[in-house]
Amino acid sequence: MLKRLYDIVLLFKEYVLLGLFLVVSITLLALNDTRQIRTIRSFTVVSVGVLQDILSFIPNYFDLRHENRVLRELNLVLSEEVSRLREGKLENLRLRRLLDLKERPPNQYVSANVVGKNLQLLRNTITIDVGENDGVRAPMPVVNDEGLVGKITATGRGYAVAQILLNKELRVSAKIQRSRVDGIVRWEGGRSLTLQNVAKMLDVLVGDVVITSDYSSLFPAGIKIGLVSAIRPIPGSLFQAIEVTPSVDFSRLEEVFVIIHTPDSTRSALEQHFRE
Amino acid sequence: MQRWVTIVVASLLLVLLQTTLVRFLSIESIGPDILLIWIVALGIRDGHITGTTAGFFIGLVLDLLSGSDGMLGLAALSKTLAGFIAGYFYNENKTYQTLGSYQFLLILAAGALVHNLAYFVILLQGSGIRWWNALLMYGVPSMLYTTAVGVLPMFVIARKHLV
Repeated sequence: MLKRLYDIVLLFKEYVLLGLFLVVSITLLALNDTRQIRTIRSFTVVSVGVLQDILSFIPNYFDLRHENRVLRELNLVLSEEVSRLREGKLENLRLRRLLDLKERPPNQYVSANVVGKNLQLLRNTITIDVGENDGVRAPMPVVNDEGLVGKITATGRGYAVAQILLNKELRVSAKIQRSRVDGIVRWEGGRSLTLQNVAKMLDVLVGDVVITSDYSSLFPAGIKIGLVSAIRPIPGSLFQAIEVTPSVDFSRLEEVFVIIHTPDSTRSALEQHFRE
Repeated sequence: MQRWVTIVVASLLLVLLQTTLVRFLSIESIGPDILLIWIVALGIRDGHITGTTAGFFIGLVLDLLSGSDGMLGLAALSKTLAGFIAGYFYNENKTYQTLGSYQFLLILAAGALVHNLAYFVILLQGSGIRWWNALLMYGVPSMLYTTAVGVLPMFVIARKHLV
């Protein structure tokens, strides 16, 4: 009996192997995120991260010239903006004192270099050269000088993997800076993001700045996400389709900052309790 | 044994290339999948077992590098299928004729299409994005790009073994 079974397995070994690998893949998809898988993932992130770091010495010469010019222009714009913001901050301080509002603590940043970019179809991630040794943990936010880049999803000792905004798994609670209208930003493919759950009658204009919202427990409020580039009413729906152009140029991403920000545990617990 | 060591080392090097240098070749977040080219070539050269096994393990490494997005096993599954399909075109006496001709590109395109189809159908389950839209927007361009890059190894093999 066993001999016959063995002969059958041997005869169809290719199909048996295919079946086995498919079953293992589906099991892994179902298991999702156990401690053992996290350990293997952490090991892989560190091993490949070290090698990616070695290869990352190859600079992208084509971008340097363009980047230099863009940075000079940006410098001019920023100098002007700094002086305006300084005045705004002083005014804000005065008003906050008047209103006795709770001061938001400044963010702590860890700078990192992008050593790898994994452009798998709709699952875009980056590998950065900071990890648990630097205090980086999932799901801390990742930003650069242009705005929100994404969030950390896996960490090793010296490396971490971050989902970027152009990843269909990432959703960000956002608001229009000018009119304070709330929505959810997600990526559905293409070059732009979508701001969802915004009713047709709410005040949104092309050119409005979209920032992270206070409602997000993952991201600190006020980080720039992008600019509203198009607004279309959805036929037969109460909502409008709002297209947002991300402020971060993901094709030129080289240096980023991880915000050492952990979600408020009391708030998360309360929200979890409410959901249950 | 030596053959498997060579395959493992080459696969690791290609994973590194895919996650570092290939980004410079990407257009609108669509880049060539050089690992898929490698898996399909292995399937044609060595048959079902090698293609399927290489597809599974290379896909698994890519999944592990994607962070915890709840999709561990997705690339493993889709690349396993691509490696298996390539194995159907294994012919010990015609290996280089297949790898060094347009047949390789056709097999690669078919493998990439099945790979992307399986990938999107599973990835987009329960999301608001329709898988056929994603397949048209990303799957087909990615298949064409990967097939175009596949011309390079095809020419190299043709020059080395067929001329």
